[in-house]
Amino acid sequence: MSARRHPSEERLLAFEAGTLSAPEAVVVATHLALQPQTRAWTHLARAVGGAVLEEQEPSPLKAGALESILARLDDAEPRPDLVVTRPRNTDTSLPAPLRGFELGPWRWAGPGVHVRNVLGPRDGDCRVILLRIASGQSAPRHTHNGVELTCVIEGAYATQDGVFEPGDFEEADPSVLHQPRVVSDTPCLCVAALDGQIVLPGRLGKILAPFVRL
Amino acid sequence: MVSQPPRDFSALIALVAQAKDRAAFAEIFGYYGPRIKALLIKSGSAPAMAEELAQEAMLTVWRKAASYDPARASVSAWIYTIARNLRSDALRRGSSALYAFDSTFGAEAPAQPDAIVSGAQDDACVRAAMRSLNPDQAQAIEMAFYQEQTHSQISQALGVPLGTVKARIRFGMMKLRAFIERETGGRA
Repeated sequence: MSARRHPSEERLLAFEAGTLSAPEAVVVATHLALQPQTRAWTHLARAVGGAVLEEQEPSPLKAGALESILARLDDAEPRPDLVVTRPRNTDTSLPAPLRGFELGPWRWAGPGVHVRNVLGPRDGDCRVILLRIASGQSAPRHTHNGVELTCVIEGAYATQDGVFEPGDFEEADPSVLHQPRVVSDTPCLCVAALDGQIVLPGRLGKILAPFVRL
Repeated sequence: MVSQPPRDFSALIALVAQAKDRAAFAEIFGYYGPRIKALLIKSGSAPAMAEELAQEAMLTVWRKAASYDPARASVSAWIYTIARNLRSDALRRGSSALYAFDSTFGAEAPAQPDAIVSGAQDDACVRAAMRSLNPDQAQAIEMAFYQEQTHSQISQALGVPLGTVKARIRFGMMKLRAFIERETGGRA
């Protein structure tokens, strides 16, 4: 019996309502980019958003608002009607939602493990990282304070819940200590929203701990 | 509780797209502008900000009318999405990166066999589905749209445990989906 591989319905609704925290939204968007079938839920959520919009008791716009908009329509014409989202990084292998953010440098985080920050989305201590873990290696240990969402981009890892492959989304259960291990022949690349610190292994980790925030 | 839209807004959007029809635009503006403003105020925007974003949303409707595909989304879902993205941008959440990949409601991806809400004809169905929910579920789902707030804040506002709020939203969404699939002939 396999665990679910997509975000919960309430998380998908919050994503479409625009109320999910930025780091969580990045991981959910990555999943949606890689797993279009989950969009049945997000499109339903948008339709619900439309229904909620229809139900609103109208709050009148300022007098003259329509006239001022009509006067601006001609100005609006020459402008390109689609705002093209400019990629902010050159890693063309990343799913579209991740191309919109600048990336920090890759850093070593244990044997076979590298980490880089996705710059921008933050919510308190929660932030987004890319993790690259070599075949056969395990994810680094980390302190776990709360949110921890993961989406596989390349490769695969396994936990006691089974194998997680590209597009698969995992919501860590804080009550379960799991140590994902990479089972693909190639490295496993994941995006994660992490609240807490990665703990470097061994003596070196203890020495570096006060200085390195991963 | 729910009123039918007075006009076929899908046809009005087509007039804007094809003929730059200002009268059609004025009608869309008159109906949706004040509703966007109301929704934004309930979402925590100050009235001046809500006014500005509502106007900006209507301008976006004019500019992007040609990209509206009635086969993929209802007018209200499309306009809701425009307003949501503008609000999210105003809050600097990087929404252009986060939502752009699906701005066309899946048009760029291969057709999904499990697309459950496919367009304007399903609009009334979605609203009927909302009415089929029990009041607790409908309230939790509506609140998820209103407040600039998380599920835990909804839980505090309602005085019920967080798990209960999540469960109401989850089962409400499942019920909506099942209702719509039944009404639209089991397209799932």
